[in-house]
Amino acid sequence: MIAKQMDIRANIKKYFDMAYSGDVIFVPRKGNKNVVIISEDEYNKITRSDIFSTYATSVISHASAKRERAVSTGSLKTDNLKKLEVIHDLKDGWNGNGAPAFSKSLIVKAGEIIKGLSIQPEIFPTALGSIQLEYDNSRHDHMEIEIGDGSEAEVFISTYDGKEFFGTVSANSDDINRKAIEFYG
Amino acid sequence: MDKTFKSDEKLYRAVYPPELVAMYWKRDGSLSSAAFADPKGLSVDRGNYRSDDEVASDMSKRFTGRIIRLYVKNCTDIGAKVKYLPSSNNKYHSEIHGSEETVLLSKQQRLFLSHKAAVVL
Repeated sequence: MIAKQMDIRANIKKYFDMAYSGDVIFVPRKGNKNVVIISEDEYNKITRSDIFSTYATSVISHASAKRERAVSTGSLKTDNLKKLEVIHDLKDGWNGNGAPAFSKSLIVKAGEIIKGLSIQPEIFPTALGSIQLEYDNSRHDHMEIEIGDGSEAEVFISTYDGKEFFGTVSANSDDINRKAIEFYG
Repeated sequence: MDKTFKSDEKLYRAVYPPELVAMYWKRDGSLSSAAFADPKGLSVDRGNYRSDDEVASDMSKRFTGRIIRLYVKNCTDIGAKVKYLPSSNNKYHSEIHGSEETVLLSKQQRLFLSHKAAVVL
């Protein structure tokens, strides 16, 4: 799960108990100085493991099962970059209804953005020729950032209580990082 | 077949690309709203009150992807328009449009439908 630093401070016993019970608590902080709270058992699993990425994958799966977004780890970023390669290979008409193949410039741009993101989204192709980044937080808010060939990306946020927000953000990892941290904040 | 749709009629969609069926499913098993973005109209097969199994069996002859199901009511609840557009090889072919005038579903409509979709096959 994702928890704000101020919530941790105010409810530290609750979060420690959750970590002790096996939850993995990600705490986004300014400047990407993010931390993760885990139990001693989980810590020991890491230190005993020769393959950290295997553990990281299991942590991500655990968090994802709860519809929550994990702070970036190498494996999630790698998964997104691999998926981007698959998207790049899609041919004209890939959706069965005449969708165009994805431009090389968009794939390169999306790859650079993904590489620079400290909080990894899930990524999806659209038949509009764009790449959609999706974030979901523990409040059940949802954020989509749609990257096209332009310098601006479209932002759509739907909150747990039915509010909706539209906007744009510069299509670069720094600005999208800020948006994601704000979304989880 | 009647050109109009009642709110309880089911609509079925094969999620492309068929060779990459996991493309639109999120890690938690839910469906991405990106699967509902199509500027040429979101193609569906109308159920015409057939059973899910019957529709899935029929669509499987033409598609190899996963098949999801919506209700007409899901579309009309958010102002989307369901149009009956039969083709020469598919008498059930229909499309979901954003409105009477707009083909592309809005981001809100796509997200809403992604939450309502159920996997049939």
